[in-house]
Amino acid sequence: MDRLQILLLLAMALFAVGLLGVIIRRNLLVMLMCMELMLNGVNLSLVTFAQQTGTEAGAVLVFLIFVVAAAEIAIAIPIVLLLVQGKRTLDADAYTDLKG
Amino acid sequence: MTTVLTLIVLAPLAGFMLNGLIGARLGNRFVGVVGCGLPLAAFALTLVSFRALETGGAPLIETFYTWARIGPRVFDVEFYFDRLSAVMTLIVTGVGTLIHVYSLGYMKEDKGYARYFAYLNLFLFFMLLLVLGRSLLVLFVGWEGVGLASYLLIGFWFEDPEKARAGKKAFVVNRIGDAGFLLGMFLLFWALGTLDMDRINAAFNGAALPAVSASLVGILLFIGATGKSAQIPLHVWLPDAMAGPTPVSALIHAATMVTAGVYLVARMSGIYLHAEVASQVVTTIGLVTAFFAATIAVVQTDIKKVLAYSTVSQLGFMFVALGVGAYGVAIFHVTTHAFFKACLFLGAGSVIHALGGEQDIRKMGGLARRIPVTFVTFVVATAAIAGIPPLAGFFSKDEILWFAFASSRGGAPLLWLVATLTALLTSFYMFRLVWRTFLGASRMDEKTAHHVHESPWSMGGVLVVLAMLSAIGGFIAVPHYLEALLPAPPVEQALHHLETPLLVLSVVVAFAGLAAAAFLYGGTAARAARMEARFAGLHRILTHKYYIDEIYERCLGGPLVWISEHVFLRTGDRLLLDGTLNGMAGLAQRVAGGLSRLQSGSLHRYAFLVLAGAVACLAWSLSHV
Amino acid sequence: MIDTLLTGLDNLLIYVFALSALVGALMMLVLRHPMQVAMALISTMVFLGGIYGLLGVHFVAAFQVLIYVSAVMVFMVFVIMLLDVRDASYAHRFSRWRYPAVAVAALLLGTLGYAVWQGVFVPAAGSDAAFGLREFAAAFLSEYWLQFELTSVLLVAVVVAALAVLREGRRHRG
Repeated sequence: MDRLQILLLLAMALFAVGLLGVIIRRNLLVMLMCMELMLNGVNLSLVTFAQQTGTEAGAVLVFLIFVVAAAEIAIAIPIVLLLVQGKRTLDADAYTDLKG
Repeated sequence: MTTVLTLIVLAPLAGFMLNGLIGARLGNRFVGVVGCGLPLAAFALTLVSFRALETGGAPLIETFYTWARIGPRVFDVEFYFDRLSAVMTLIVTGVGTLIHVYSLGYMKEDKGYARYFAYLNLFLFFMLLLVLGRSLLVLFVGWEGVGLASYLLIGFWFEDPEKARAGKKAFVVNRIGDAGFLLGMFLLFWALGTLDMDRINAAFNGAALPAVSASLVGILLFIGATGKSAQIPLHVWLPDAMAGPTPVSALIHAATMVTAGVYLVARMSGIYLHAEVASQVVTTIGLVTAFFAATIAVVQTDIKKVLAYSTVSQLGFMFVALGVGAYGVAIFHVTTHAFFKACLFLGAGSVIHALGGEQDIRKMGGLARRIPVTFVTFVVATAAIAGIPPLAGFFSKDEILWFAFASSRGGAPLLWLVATLTALLTSFYMFRLVWRTFLGASRMDEKTAHHVHESPWSMGGVLVVLAMLSAIGGFIAVPHYLEALLPAPPVEQALHHLETPLLVLSVVVAFAGLAAAAFLYGGTAARAARMEARFAGLHRILTHKYYIDEIYERCLGGPLVWISEHVFLRTGDRLLLDGTLNGMAGLAQRVAGGLSRLQSGSLHRYAFLVLAGAVACLAWSLSHV
Repeated sequence: MIDTLLTGLDNLLIYVFALSALVGALMMLVLRHPMQVAMALISTMVFLGGIYGLLGVHFVAAFQVLIYVSAVMVFMVFVIMLLDVRDASYAHRFSRWRYPAVAVAALLLGTLGYAVWQGVFVPAAGSDAAFGLREFAAAFLSEYWLQFELTSVLLVAVVVAALAVLREGRRHRG
């Protein structure tokens, strides 16, 4: 098992753990942070590949992900604040208003 | 390079803008000053241009701006002022201004005062565009624009569905004519590459005729003219158009807009000179319209309807003149007709005003003493239209009759005979109107009779001016003035000695109509009632206007409704379109109903489904790739 | 010889950082207080930054620390401090889906691990020639300028959306 495989496994583990966190944690902020963790896992795999092949495409994508992550958090946090303003709780189970 | 012509056109537009946008807020005095002042300014500017035309001699041409440039073709908005446009512009601005002034009094109590003057100014703008445009394209814009203004003004009191319907009828009928007009324009542009009317005339008068049938173009353009000028078979809208305010009927539906068709044919005389068939069509349609409209007018009981059919009939006369090549004479009749018909309509408006809205001549009578100014002016105008010398109508109508008889471009004794008969009818029904309205015993009810009052001077004064014009208008030698532009047709030499006898005969005919009306309707009008009883069948046909509206309804309206109902609505719309849409919507609804159970609103469940889906996709791709 | 030693040290450090990052991620799943979770995430991110640095992609490492740890996570920590977080989700931190989710996540990890294990990696030709900031910047603004510009559109959209949320919040308050 070489370094590349270790790093890829780590990237996948971070992604899986992040997704698992989104599913099993009830706190909205924790769920958001777990989503960040997922993005980090993806970033790691991109950087690894970019470094391995010596091309910059992966790194460019990482930069774009940075922007997307910042944008995501910039819009997600106000939404969470708005939600809390209405129901005074961070519990995701409380927000089932969009039930079909 | 002057800009007088542009200013003539733009002055009423400015009035429309001012009155339409801010008039309602600034009060009636402002609306009146703007609404009448700017048409007056246009009239003054027309006089200035007229002087310039007479001193310079050559037509004035002003390019306003370039509308479009397609390849080598340039479409300019150009104004063209020659003697023909000069006559028309003077009529439009002159009579237009008078009618605006009259409206000041007539519409005083109306709550749509500003809107009324805005529309009236808008009409004037488009009418001036129509008569001053150099290109057929500009003329067409004005042509459609006056149609729009006419529609707006017929349906001015749109709260009444019947009046709104009359406006729509005018609009739809005019569209039929416009289709012909457009086709004619396309054909001309295809053949000549230009739409400038003086260039088209020059092309047809040149050595080599253009490679297009003059008769075809002529007939297509004439179809447009029949729509606008209310000739058979498209005449049905004009009588209904009387739903609008009376000054509107005077301005648009008597003096100016309806003569646009005559102007068009006269303007395009270069084509018609080379289009024998088209000219024959014009003559025939004109004659038939003149005669039938006159017969209908004999039995109508609505004062405005009588005048409307009279207008249709007089327009028929103008087209007869056009058909036999006497273009200048037709414009002459346009001029005199504008004077006396405007006077008649405004007089009728004054009567209606005096009676508080009553239009039925069976409920009038004996008004001569109560409203003397209206009476005197009305009688003068009636005598003018009847052709009693030396009033205006006598000169123009006599010239039309003479050319119908003697023109070598299609004049014929039969033509003359029918036209003279129509003139007799004209004289008869007009004097019948005078007798029923102003003379004899009063048939008004107490309440109406009590309220009868002479109109204010803004109305009476206008009536007097128009009556004077009707009296002396015949001495304006319009045909002579236009001779250089629209020469009179050659006359059969052998018939020259008959000119004076025919003249005498037409005077006799006018007085015969007067005598017949006096005989039938003088006193108690018992003779008229007996006549009516004896010819009950004929009377019924005439009262129902030959059932033309009913025939149109049956032959065109009915099948159209049937097709719409059965083919388009039931099969096309409900079965095909609605069926497809409803089916698709139903399917989507059922699928969504099933899927909505998945939508629990729980974020965790959604995320879990994402996870499960990701695993499934991965597993599938690992086992297959 | 010292080179070999240094490479070995590098690799060792990478493994240590990787393990630490994984531990931090796992801690995020179980810690109760959101602030603790945030700290665990920050540590994971810092360790990842370390890995990037050790891999020789220094500028990505710098941005990882600057953008993620500084901008994003500071924002997050502020919000955690702003809100009273001791509610139902504090008492019962796990959702109903914990057991099936753990099972399926394990399945996911297993599938991915199997793919990595089985996968054949062909190192590209110039793998040793690690690219620097210069090449990256040139590529970024010449080849990927469109994507670069599109992110600005995204940011504008975010600003508009944030304003919309703000307005909505005002209406909520009355």
